[in-house]
Amino acid sequence: MELEKYQIDLGNLMGFDATHHFDSIPSSREELAKLCLEKGTELVQAIANALFALPATEDRDGPIVHLPQPTTKLPREKHVCITKRKKGKRAFDEQTGTWKRTHGYDRINDDKDIPIIEAKLSDEPGEDPLGKRKDEKKKRIEKQKKNQLQNLKQAAKAGALPSHVQFAATALPITGTRADLPTKSSKEELENVAGMAATATASGGKFDWKLPGEKPLKHTGKHRKFLPVVEGKGMSSQEQKQTAKILEQLMAKSSNNILDVNKAVTVFNVKKERKRRMEKEIQRTTPSKLEPKKSLKKPSKKH
Amino acid sequence: MRTLDEKETAAVFEKLFKFTGPNLKLIVERPAVEGPAGDDPGRYCFRLHKNRVFYASESLVRRAVSVSRERLVSLGTCIGKFTKTGSFRLTVQSLDLLASHARRKVWLKPTSEMSFLYGNPVLKSGLARITEGVNPGDGVVVFSMSDLPLGFGVAARSTQDCRKAHADAIIVNRQADAGEYLRNEDDL
Repeated sequence: MELEKYQIDLGNLMGFDATHHFDSIPSSREELAKLCLEKGTELVQAIANALFALPATEDRDGPIVHLPQPTTKLPREKHVCITKRKKGKRAFDEQTGTWKRTHGYDRINDDKDIPIIEAKLSDEPGEDPLGKRKDEKKKRIEKQKKNQLQNLKQAAKAGALPSHVQFAATALPITGTRADLPTKSSKEELENVAGMAATATASGGKFDWKLPGEKPLKHTGKHRKFLPVVEGKGMSSQEQKQTAKILEQLMAKSSNNILDVNKAVTVFNVKKERKRRMEKEIQRTTPSKLEPKKSLKKPSKKH
Repeated sequence: MRTLDEKETAAVFEKLFKFTGPNLKLIVERPAVEGPAGDDPGRYCFRLHKNRVFYASESLVRRAVSVSRERLVSLGTCIGKFTKTGSFRLTVQSLDLLASHARRKVWLKPTSEMSFLYGNPVLKSGLARITEGVNPGDGVVVFSMSDLPLGFGVAARSTQDCRKAHADAIIVNRQADAGEYLRNEDDL
């Protein structure tokens, strides 16, 4: 058998063979025990070798060796003081001498069951002891909440935040569009949306009773934009543009109407007449011999 | 008081165009008579107040802005008003403006002037003169023989048809006349 490299943890005085396996399953328990002992002996020998390899200091009783830090992590044992206790729903109230519930309405140790609080020497006259108790309770609750928050922050810093808790800032998406960012709706936005939703009834939300505190919608009706009534030096350029545009459209639409059809027809007719007259003049003054002569003989029909 | 939006301006201009034709440009781009002297004179503009359309110079509008809405009664010249359903009607107060830029005119005989001012339409018997080229459906301004504008309306017949028509035929359907100042004093 070749020398196997064992994992030796001197801090715990431990030796471990990671490659060990049984060649054949031993037949009996005694066989198994014998094999294990053999293996164990080898490992102990290896540990002893390692120990003697360490540098030793001389002491009265003999050489002393400081063991190095242990490399294997062992699970630590539970803290002794933390024990879980179960509290019942009902408990015996000392003040009233009855069984009451621990929390909520009609609970034990309630301030209103205290008939009288004895004054101490440190108390000032004119102070309300019950009021003081109330303030102190409030302070305690605030302190508790603050401590809780601080603990969570510390845990987040150390990377040990409980899985169900997630800080709001870390929940933001890193990449993506602006629409992916969760935006907090403001009060006005919610009111607007609620108002718009309320008009989604058959009669436009006119006859629905309003809840107490619900204000009527501010911007009802269609949104219309108008040019300013008066602007700076005289008529604003926008108004001029608008009027000019509309004027142009009107003119263009009726441009065919501006033409007087009757007049155009008479003018055309007059022109035509004049042209014909001119042509007739030219014909009369220039007789052409090439023109075919009209025969004076009438064609007779032979029966 | 506010400016007119595009649709409203288009409606107003269309009605005016029926009477003035291309002269509408002169109405819209008229240099103001009043206003700060020396400076480039502002133009005339249209403003809407309580469903009435007013025609006034810019300097007048600027001064009128300081009057509150409930207190403002009128401004410049009222030319017409928008009805409940949103259509625009010219009123008699626009007569002066239309008369100076009218394209088609009709002159009445002195005998039928009163009839027209009482609200009756113009008949062939009352017609003295009419401009050439009037088509049915055209806007027409009615004058007396002394060139005094009496009212306006819509032509029912063309100029040629007028000559052929018989004496009782309606030539002009009256839309507004100067007699309304007495008859419909409250409406104006």
